[in-house]
Amino acid sequence: MASMAERPDLKVDLGRGLHLRSPVIVASGTFGYGFDAPQVDRAALGAIVSKGTTLRPHEGNAPIRIAETPSGMLNAIGLQNPGVDHVAHVYAPQWATWDLPVIVNVAGDSVDEYVAVARRLNGVPGVAGLELNISCPNVQSGLQFGVDPVLAAEVTHAVRAVTELPLIVKLTPNVTDIVAVARAVEDAGADAVSAINTYVGMAIDVRRRRPIISRGSGGLSGAAIKPLALHAVWQLAAEVHIPVVGVGGIMTPGDALEFLLAGATAVQLGTVNYVRPQAAAEIHDGIAAYMVQHGLTDMRALPIRSVSVLTHV
Amino acid sequence: MSIAVAPAVVLERSVPMAGAVELVLSHPPSAVAVGPGQFFQLAVSAPHTILRRPYSAAWSDPAGGRIGFIFNVVGTGSAWLAARDEGDELDLLGPLGRGFDLEGQRPAICVAGGLGVAVFPGVVQALIARGRNVIVLQGARTAAQLLPASRFPGADVHVATDDGSAGHRGSVVDLFSNLGEGQSGGIDILTCGPTPMLTALIDVAHRQAIPLSDIQVALETPMGCGIGTCLGCAAPRAAGGYFLTCQDGPCVRADRIEWELMTDGFHG
Repeated sequence: MASMAERPDLKVDLGRGLHLRSPVIVASGTFGYGFDAPQVDRAALGAIVSKGTTLRPHEGNAPIRIAETPSGMLNAIGLQNPGVDHVAHVYAPQWATWDLPVIVNVAGDSVDEYVAVARRLNGVPGVAGLELNISCPNVQSGLQFGVDPVLAAEVTHAVRAVTELPLIVKLTPNVTDIVAVARAVEDAGADAVSAINTYVGMAIDVRRRRPIISRGSGGLSGAAIKPLALHAVWQLAAEVHIPVVGVGGIMTPGDALEFLLAGATAVQLGTVNYVRPQAAAEIHDGIAAYMVQHGLTDMRALPIRSVSVLTHV
Repeated sequence: MSIAVAPAVVLERSVPMAGAVELVLSHPPSAVAVGPGQFFQLAVSAPHTILRRPYSAAWSDPAGGRIGFIFNVVGTGSAWLAARDEGDELDLLGPLGRGFDLEGQRPAICVAGGLGVAVFPGVVQALIARGRNVIVLQGARTAAQLLPASRFPGADVHVATDDGSAGHRGSVVDLFSNLGEGQSGGIDILTCGPTPMLTALIDVAHRQAIPLSDIQVALETPMGCGIGTCLGCAAPRAAGGYFLTCQDGPCVRADRIEWELMTDGFHG
């Protein structure tokens, strides 16, 4: 019979009753609405975060939408989604039959739109939580909420007022002080933050003399951004009192462990889902093996906050 | 049909035509039914790359345990693949997408431009096996860049080269235009090639009153996941909005495509 040390408990708590069986979550925009990617082992996952969902359907941006860059990829999908009514009517009833929580990523270009989407999803069976996308760099007005602590707090507070669901706010890294935005959304009622969304970047086709992405810029994801994301999580975990979900360039079990040691309560996998559908299971098992190896029985024992580092150079 | 990540061993590596590489791999056991025109996502381990590379199977022989891919070197990912040798292991995800619809008994014309020919050995073989009459029209810059006609047994092969070193001097679309006169209706057209070639073909179809629904196009777009989650491979849909090349294609009927938008922003 396996001892506790051999079967570590990977459960995590993101607040307001959102208990996950695993700290491994698939990130918004990399797993659709959970109906594709049959190659991914669902048993390894703690939750799915849906594609960004808006009040009305969006067709998305004109091609070209993606480009590979060194150890990363740019995307400017443009929030292509079927709209919240379709999600609530068609997808959520199916999610309600799953043993895997689905968190709906909510996007909008006004406080009213965020509120309308959140209101529509409140109390809908199958919807386990909301992740507020205040950082999508692809729709012009989307950026504004996430870069300003006051606006970020305003939209968080407004959504908080109309939903009882666990509320995660996904932070943009395209700011001077991500901690200030995180504190503001914590005070406004967020149950957790996820950090980080993509960095704005671009690539130019020198032969055709124009940006590769049709919109010019896109969001950079993948291994290229991992050290940047990790630093954001390290800062946030020390400064906010709500769970931090680490996301950005996680490709391997070792990457995920870095985020968990830095203070993340859970991690989200994004770009790696496109490349290695088996990564979720490998990362889940790698975390479990690490726990065993280090004699840890609880995920809360992982962060290394007590380690002293030079914070100013 | 099962889509899975599966290892495959390189059995043979050859140069089927100038500038191209053909890798023959052990057939993934999960992919017993590869439809002509379907594709796989091949993992690459070249430094600083991240995404898989989408390639249509050139041909598939599940009974013989072999599958072939023909491609040219356009960047670091394809260069890494081209450097694989016998015995090396590759990681395949697939088969993915929708292949060509080969139903029916009408004569079929396969129109291939450049590396677009890579999808056709298996397509032609499947058409011939169904007892259909098949014409292959292949265009390339020079004679050396043509896939040999011996790769299309049973088909009537015509070629065009930009420099006139083989066959018609000019475009493969010229060949099609000459052949198509008087044949409007009653043929199935299957095509793959650079966007300018495809749009020229569509223009000819309009002039000759060939219904676009008789034309099937194997599309190439930039692609992320290949399985419908990243939404990166959008292509303009005639009815408005976009379809996904990886799920709704790569083989789609030409009347479903908004050709005006295909001329701008797509890789040729």
